[in-house]
Amino acid sequence: MKRKIELNVNSERHELEIEPHWTLLEVLREKLFLTGTKKGCDCGDCGACTVLVDGTAKLSCLMLAVEAQGKNILTIEGLARGKELHPLQQAFIDQGAVQCGFCTPGMILSAKALLDKNSTPTEGEVKAGVSGNLCRCTGYIKILEAVLSARDKKGG
Amino acid sequence: MIYRMPRFEYLAPGTVEEAVSLLSRHGEEAKVLAGGTDLLVWLKHRKVTPAYVIGLSGLADLDYIRQDDHGLRIGALTTHQSIAGSELIKRSYGLLAAACGKVGSPQIRNMGTIGGNLCNAGPSADSAPPLLALDARLKLVRAGGQREIPLERFFTGSFQTVLDRGELLTEILIPPLPPRSGGSYQYLNKATAVDESLVGVAALVVLGDNPSVVEDIRIALCSVAPAPMRVRRAESVLKGREATDEAIEETAAAVAGETLPRSRADYRRKMSAVLTKRAIRQALANAAS
Repeated sequence: MKRKIELNVNSERHELEIEPHWTLLEVLREKLFLTGTKKGCDCGDCGACTVLVDGTAKLSCLMLAVEAQGKNILTIEGLARGKELHPLQQAFIDQGAVQCGFCTPGMILSAKALLDKNSTPTEGEVKAGVSGNLCRCTGYIKILEAVLSARDKKGG
Repeated sequence: MIYRMPRFEYLAPGTVEEAVSLLSRHGEEAKVLAGGTDLLVWLKHRKVTPAYVIGLSGLADLDYIRQDDHGLRIGALTTHQSIAGSELIKRSYGLLAAACGKVGSPQIRNMGTIGGNLCNAGPSADSAPPLLALDARLKLVRAGGQREIPLERFFTGSFQTVLDRGELLTEILIPPLPPRSGGSYQYLNKATAVDESLVGVAALVVLGDNPSVVEDIRIALCSVAPAPMRVRRAESVLKGREATDEAIEETAAAVAGETLPRSRADYRRKMSAVLTKRAIRQALANAAS
């Protein structure tokens, strides 16, 4: 049975009518048309569906939309300020860390969650921080370099 | 792969009392939702199709880590990340922090709860071996009452527990540690599943007045039997004995012999022995410091 919920996504309030069995991922993509968050494995293994919930990285494919009420949800669309890219987005471009781009939104959000909690992570901590995000294209080196360069720019 | 979630009605109790009342009313037709990292996967695969999903996200008072005279109390809805990051747990119950710190991935650890991990009762549940080695007890609440049981009596088989219909796990209690005790959690991952343990070994040693004698030893494993298990016969090989290389080897061999692995049994037994030796040695080092 459908119910009305209110979601706070990228600092915008949305009133929606949803079924309780819909996942947050489905609602973000199909009701809010925020297709930056990707459906990869759809079962919690790949991290492509990563969003930040009150600043914490979570898998939207394993969350019910109904339970996302009252939380601040951040998707990849919420990072840039108009045309000004977030430093992480710019770093991924500058370092060549984007090939097909499918893992990129989840990677960037995991990296953002890491840097927001720890602004000077070691290389090992960066690897651990994105260990829940799989990439089939790049071999991860450029992704690591992008996050480290964003770390260094912020620290500097 | 893209999944279609089965339909269900979603109920959101605001208190434990409400939750157990709903559980009791709906019985087999209801499933409890904590972090969602197990239940939503089961729903997607249609391994379960409950008419009702009882979401516990409103029970914020089940998310805590507290120490009192009775020991360490962990609320059932405490996430793996909270446990892994807790200074108290890292300092005094390091084997539990280590186990919870390797579950799944960062996102899974941010969502998944220790109560959900235990109640899902998978054979490879990493949080179970440390809790078994720590002699943890579980508080199970139902409408009109509650009971406390040792974790050692909780698992009855793969994905099976003694939870009655209408019962909810609310708290894990770890009794105070004896002085001069130290623990360790050692594991190997499967290559085929996202960071699921192939074998996990938790060891807790208690040193006697003579620090080279092991006054007490507890060893527990995951992924080597239908459910996480203590290996009490193997423990008795080292208990009361000096921790020589020979004694540790004997203990490790006894552990391997006591396991009941189903798949990749030969490798799992061999690795049980290897990881047991590592866990005992690290536990001894931690106990001495």
